[in-house]
Amino acid sequence: MPYLIVHEEGCIGCHTCEMVCSLSHEGVINPDLSRIHVLGYKGEKFPVMCLQCEDAPCELVCPMEAIHMQNGVRMVDDEKCIRCKMCTLVCPVGGVLYDYINNKMIRCDLCGGDPQCAKYCPMNVIEVVQDEKVPEARKRGVRVLYGEAD
Amino acid sequence: MFGYAGKILFIDLTSRVVRTEPTEKYAADFLGGRGIATKIAYDLIPAEADAFDPENALVMMTGPLTGAAPSSSRIDVVSLSPVTNLLGGSSAGGDFGAVLKFAGYDGIVITGKAEKPTGIRIIDDEVTFHDAEHCWEYDVYDTVDCIKRLGREDVQVACIGKAGANLVKTAGISFSKRNLAARGGLGAVMGSKNLKAIAVAGTKGIKVRDTKRLMETNLEIERRMLESPSFKKYESWHANISLSLLKARRPYFGDYEEEFWEEAEEAAKNAKRFFEEMAKVRPNSCFACPLRCWAWVEYKGEEAPMVACQGTFPAIIFILKIKDPELAWKVYLRLQKEGLDIMSTAAVIAYASRVGLVRLGSGEILKLIDEIVNREGPGNVLAEGVKKASEHFGVPAVYVKGGMESWSSDVRPFRGVSLAGAVSESGSISRAIHGFPESSYYTKPEKAKKVAKEIVGDESAAEPSSYRGKAKLVAYFEDEHIIADSLGVCDTPMLSIPLELWAEALSAATGMEFTPEKLHFYAGKIRTLERMFNVRRGVDREKDTLSERLFRSVIRSGPWAGVGIDREKFEEMKLEYYGLRGWDENGIPTEETLERYGLEW
Repeated sequence: MPYLIVHEEGCIGCHTCEMVCSLSHEGVINPDLSRIHVLGYKGEKFPVMCLQCEDAPCELVCPMEAIHMQNGVRMVDDEKCIRCKMCTLVCPVGGVLYDYINNKMIRCDLCGGDPQCAKYCPMNVIEVVQDEKVPEARKRGVRVLYGEAD
Repeated sequence: MFGYAGKILFIDLTSRVVRTEPTEKYAADFLGGRGIATKIAYDLIPAEADAFDPENALVMMTGPLTGAAPSSSRIDVVSLSPVTNLLGGSSAGGDFGAVLKFAGYDGIVITGKAEKPTGIRIIDDEVTFHDAEHCWEYDVYDTVDCIKRLGREDVQVACIGKAGANLVKTAGISFSKRNLAARGGLGAVMGSKNLKAIAVAGTKGIKVRDTKRLMETNLEIERRMLESPSFKKYESWHANISLSLLKARRPYFGDYEEEFWEEAEEAAKNAKRFFEEMAKVRPNSCFACPLRCWAWVEYKGEEAPMVACQGTFPAIIFILKIKDPELAWKVYLRLQKEGLDIMSTAAVIAYASRVGLVRLGSGEILKLIDEIVNREGPGNVLAEGVKKASEHFGVPAVYVKGGMESWSSDVRPFRGVSLAGAVSESGSISRAIHGFPESSYYTKPEKAKKVAKEIVGDESAAEPSSYRGKAKLVAYFEDEHIIADSLGVCDTPMLSIPLELWAEALSAATGMEFTPEKLHFYAGKIRTLERMFNVRRGVDREKDTLSERLFRSVIRSGPWAGVGIDREKFEEMKLEYYGLRGWDENGIPTEETLERYGLEW
């Protein structure tokens, strides 16, 4: 499975990624149901989505052990999940979201290998890179964020 | 309903009654955006009402593509304009339109007048009224910050600054801090209703009919935008626009002076230096738009968003003859923060220099802006717009239809601009012929000639000072603009992407089938309805005109030396235009035309 890399300096804050993400996953245009979100203040904007971390806090915190890595994508088992939303609290980038319409947890699934956000991003801010090209440190995104990379 | 949100929100401020109506009632007949807004305005606003009367309605409408296709983020605002006392309209980009649809509304219709300064907050189905007494005199920036502190950070805000609250007739409606429905004094209408701000947040989203078809069409539209040679230039648009307008021979100087301003090039070069070397510019975009035509500009600790395409900054340096970019920046900040229409306010200040109230190019301009905003001293007269000011001072002024200040292009050498200024319903030329071939005749001659050839079959129609074919070009471009404003698409990309693709996106989103011909039919219908609105208010051929001074003025130096408007040929253009529209020689829609479009008085 590929990884998504964000080159945040090029983002123009157009929210096209949110539009296509909710459109391709849910068939509606609704940024609240998008797996990717543009954050920012004034001119400085950039998209965030699930980073597919190693040692992911969401997986560690889940009381029902409902979150697992499957084929390089972290998935939530809807059967096991009790919607306690602990995962949304611990994720340092806000990559896990709660879909209040369908009552389930949602997160980036890399569109099964063909991420639509990267395809539609006009500034090529979101880049799809193959697994082996991603440095170890990037995979441990969270640990790097906290300065604990080994 | 697909593509549309499905409901239109009606808010009466006098009785505080809030109700909704299904969009379906209007959609099949008037498309959306500007079309539906005009229909509602036609139904609600009595022919004898005044712009500041409670009977006047302020209609904000999004289109079926708003938030659903690339570069489609527009919201169209229509009301009775206090400047012309005729139909006024202006559209704005940003995120407000899309978010309004996410909240479940295609539009907001405001009628009546609140007893006290009021703000409205719309969160999905919840519509609440808030006291806005404390922030009534805030500028736009403070208002937006104040409203965001009310509880939700993610709201989009439509508001007026102090100028709108003081009923200054060049005030526009600000959408968050950057996009402005500037023209026609709509901010003053909002102020007259004691309405300071509308805040919206929504979580419902827009349903579309055919997801796959829409996504494929969107990708194709986007691909064409990214592949066009001008896409790269958008990034440096702020720096280059002044020079390129000058090269296109478009600006006028001061209060429509007849002498060419010799220092214009130096001023434009200073502006280029300002954006390239002095200020920090970060390109940004409206919702779902790849074009990044506006940017956050930061200079010496102060920052403001700036939209390049309408040429607001060039208007400041050319009309106010400011060579020092730092002063131009200060003027820009002041106008933007108060939510003033920059083109009109600059024209008003230039007029003030003619009657000796201010020296152009000097810091006195800043003081005069404050006086206009606060309606102090001479500012009280100037705040009424150039037409009223010229009646007060007895010195003739330059304006287009109904007293509207002119556009960024000099009206005298550009025949299409002069015709559009006279016949367009709101007098707002940017709503009719933005992207007109004659505007780029000296910068992109090949393209301009090609467009003219395609539409009227004659290359010479692209020449600015030729009267030939201009009526047809104006009618065609008006149609394109009406389609864009009605669908919620931005003008600039609308014109450069084939209409077939937009029709395809619209069909995919709504599930109804559209073709370019059908869209042009709608445009003709909406245009005729706009005309009916004004005819009901007494507009005829005689009222379709420019200010007297424009016909007498002949340019004495510069690239347009010796050029003026020939009144006879101008009248001929008008007649030709009426014929194309299906109106009689007095400019009144004929019975056959009304029947063809299914319209009734």
